[in-house]
Amino acid sequence: MEIKICTQDEVTRIEITGKLDSITAPDAQEKIMPLIVPESRLVLDMCNVSYVSSAGLRVLLMVAKKTAQEEAKTVLSGLSEEILDIMEMTGFGNMFKNYKTYVEAIDNILKDES
Amino acid sequence: MIRIDTYPTHTYGEFQLRPGKPLPFGATIVPGGVNFSIYSRHATTCELVLFRKHESEPFGTIPFPDEFRIGNVFTMIVFDLDYEEIEYGFKMDGPFNPEEGLWFDKTKILMDPYAKAIGGRDVWGEEPDWDNTYQHRARLVYDDFDWEGDRPLETPMEDLVIYEMHVRGFTRHPSSKVKHPGTFTAIRQKIPYLKKLGINCIELLPIHEFDEFENSRISPVTGERLVNYWGYSNVGFFAPKTGYAATGKFGMQVDELKTLIRDLHKNGIEVILDVVFNHTAEGNENGPYISYRGIDNKTYYMLTPEGYYFNFSGCGNTLNCNNPIVRNMILGCLRYWTAEYHIDGFRFDLAAILGRDQNGAPMHNPPLLETLAFDPILGKCKLIAEAWDAGGLYQVGSFPSWGRWAEWNGKFRDDLRKFLKGEEGLKDTMMQRLQGSPEMYKWQGLGTCASINFITCHDGFTLKDLVSYNDKHNEANGEDNRDGGNDNDSWNCGCEGTTEDEGINRLRKRQIKNALSMLILSQGVPMLLSGDEIGNTQFGNNNAYCQDNEISWLDWELLKTNKEIFNFCKNMIAFRKKHPVLRSNIHFQNRDYVGSGYPDISWHGQKAWQPESSPNDLMVAFMLCGKHAKGGTVDDDAIYMAINMHWEMHGFELPKLPNGVNWHIFANTGMESPEDIWKIGKEKKLVDVDEILVGPKSIVVLVGR
Repeated sequence: MEIKICTQDEVTRIEITGKLDSITAPDAQEKIMPLIVPESRLVLDMCNVSYVSSAGLRVLLMVAKKTAQEEAKTVLSGLSEEILDIMEMTGFGNMFKNYKTYVEAIDNILKDES
Repeated sequence: MIRIDTYPTHTYGEFQLRPGKPLPFGATIVPGGVNFSIYSRHATTCELVLFRKHESEPFGTIPFPDEFRIGNVFTMIVFDLDYEEIEYGFKMDGPFNPEEGLWFDKTKILMDPYAKAIGGRDVWGEEPDWDNTYQHRARLVYDDFDWEGDRPLETPMEDLVIYEMHVRGFTRHPSSKVKHPGTFTAIRQKIPYLKKLGINCIELLPIHEFDEFENSRISPVTGERLVNYWGYSNVGFFAPKTGYAATGKFGMQVDELKTLIRDLHKNGIEVILDVVFNHTAEGNENGPYISYRGIDNKTYYMLTPEGYYFNFSGCGNTLNCNNPIVRNMILGCLRYWTAEYHIDGFRFDLAAILGRDQNGAPMHNPPLLETLAFDPILGKCKLIAEAWDAGGLYQVGSFPSWGRWAEWNGKFRDDLRKFLKGEEGLKDTMMQRLQGSPEMYKWQGLGTCASINFITCHDGFTLKDLVSYNDKHNEANGEDNRDGGNDNDSWNCGCEGTTEDEGINRLRKRQIKNALSMLILSQGVPMLLSGDEIGNTQFGNNNAYCQDNEISWLDWELLKTNKEIFNFCKNMIAFRKKHPVLRSNIHFQNRDYVGSGYPDISWHGQKAWQPESSPNDLMVAFMLCGKHAKGGTVDDDAIYMAINMHWEMHGFELPKLPNGVNWHIFANTGMESPEDIWKIGKEKKLVDVDEILVGPKSIVVLVGR
């Protein structure tokens, strides 16, 4: 798994590539959690994520919880149908809004601001 | 703060180790590693065997160092394991001496009895790799589900309407139109349907890990593969059936099941599990080594003095439930499902076995049953016994209860069926059944809720088949129709099986409505078999344990065809829920103790107040006084029910109500839809009516307000 982080126009894009599982989850958690601070705007771009395991879903849940706690905003983009389906079935379906593309996610996260 | 015990103290090859903690048993994720702990009293040595998921060869085998053993427990922490990707087992060495009850074989890889998830049958029906020496593979589980504030619902027992359901059968049929047929997720998709029907509790046939391929064979009749479809044969007691989860192939069955339970609870629906603690899938002397046999045969199984397996379960072996080790495992299991899965109650399969001692003799105060009755974590759980076993112990009405245990009331089923088809001589018995069987339970100080009332369950005919077949038709099971019970007390209404005869079909529908009325309006707790509300058929098969096909699957098309039955059932449930007088948790006293001028329950016949005034004993009528609802603490309407199981129409004189109160007709099974049942609050007023006519084999229900 690889994580690329870049911030533009007050939105932080976190691009994850590969598998999010028990091997990579601790690393992902370590990198993402500190970015969630009051008023931060995050897009987890997951169009290159091939698999999210149970441990991976737990990282996403931690991100969601911290987002709520810090009154920040996090959305997902590019998740495959299969992963979305798994998230829905295992009770992780309502954590985030998911947008088909990163551009759509950016549009919406900024639109909500105005 | 970093804990001191997060550092290894020993190494074995590439593995970093540390002495483990003996409790809890099983495999527990701890900081930096996994704690393994397993009991065996008679093993001399034990090895931990580690696999990568699905692989047939282990990547590591680690002997438990002798200095890690505490008492009869082998325990060890192994560091740096990828807990999502491994499967683990044990090898135990010790004497092989079946006469002494010892079956050690150090070549066998054994599953942890405490495994929280089990791989090997990840997708239902997918052919396993039979060459793999480790078939049922223990996995690790992270127990941190986000329950969002949920806990078991604690619905009062008397308010329950139970719906007995097979996870796969409920939605496997293509007509269910769900995304993932036959799974936990699919039940979630059907929650709106369950709510519409009005049930508030589902009782799931076994969902502990079992092997659908156990005793699998080809039916000589249909050529189809027969499987262990019902699942009354446990592989592991702590793990959900992986093949019931749409996400089982990803190892996420635990979260999927918890999500289902959380959503059911959000919709006011409880979950009761059918648990099978009487035997395991290891069978008799010829069965496979899965776990218990190779870990400590003598502890886990009841054995004859010669070392053979006792067979009180009819399934080859008998779990040694009153051995202290096994007792603790059962208690631990139920606590785990209650605390970790928020399960609301348990129905114990062949529960009479749980009251047998280690030699098989029935005990007066079985310690296991007493422990469960008083356990703090199970304190609000429903405990329901199937109070008999295959060894001839029949305890319906006498199951040791400590005021906590309820029973599947087999007598309710048998008497209702006989009365329904018109067997004479049951009037007095029926009066007991309609009141929650006080003659069986009141002397023990138990209330109406000790009686789980049912007419049909998974075992036997469906309700539609009960009124369509005189005899069982189990040929497809491949045992020349020898299997399955012959004491069905069924009546085909004039023709065996499907018919075009309109008269017969009308009568069958009426009989279904009669059965549902008596079931749902009796005191006690009603249990419906899933599918009976839409007239589901098993084509006369009364023992469909092996049929993973249209015989067992619920056909959702029937919801259209038999809309009338669904509508009747739905309104009958709503009526029960509306009227507290139908849901007393104490038995009636047959007297007026609130000064209403009417006894709590009164019996009537052709003439009011004279139950004996009928020309035959197939007519029963009773009136419930609403002022006595919930022991006189709640004000409800009066309810009158006239049951005529005679084949001719009869008049019933109605008891008079106080001035200003009128009888209204709620249901009349003798009428065609839509006049067979009325919506709550829309019941039709009867003006100046002193007597009602109840048609042949019909039931009339009135409400007085």
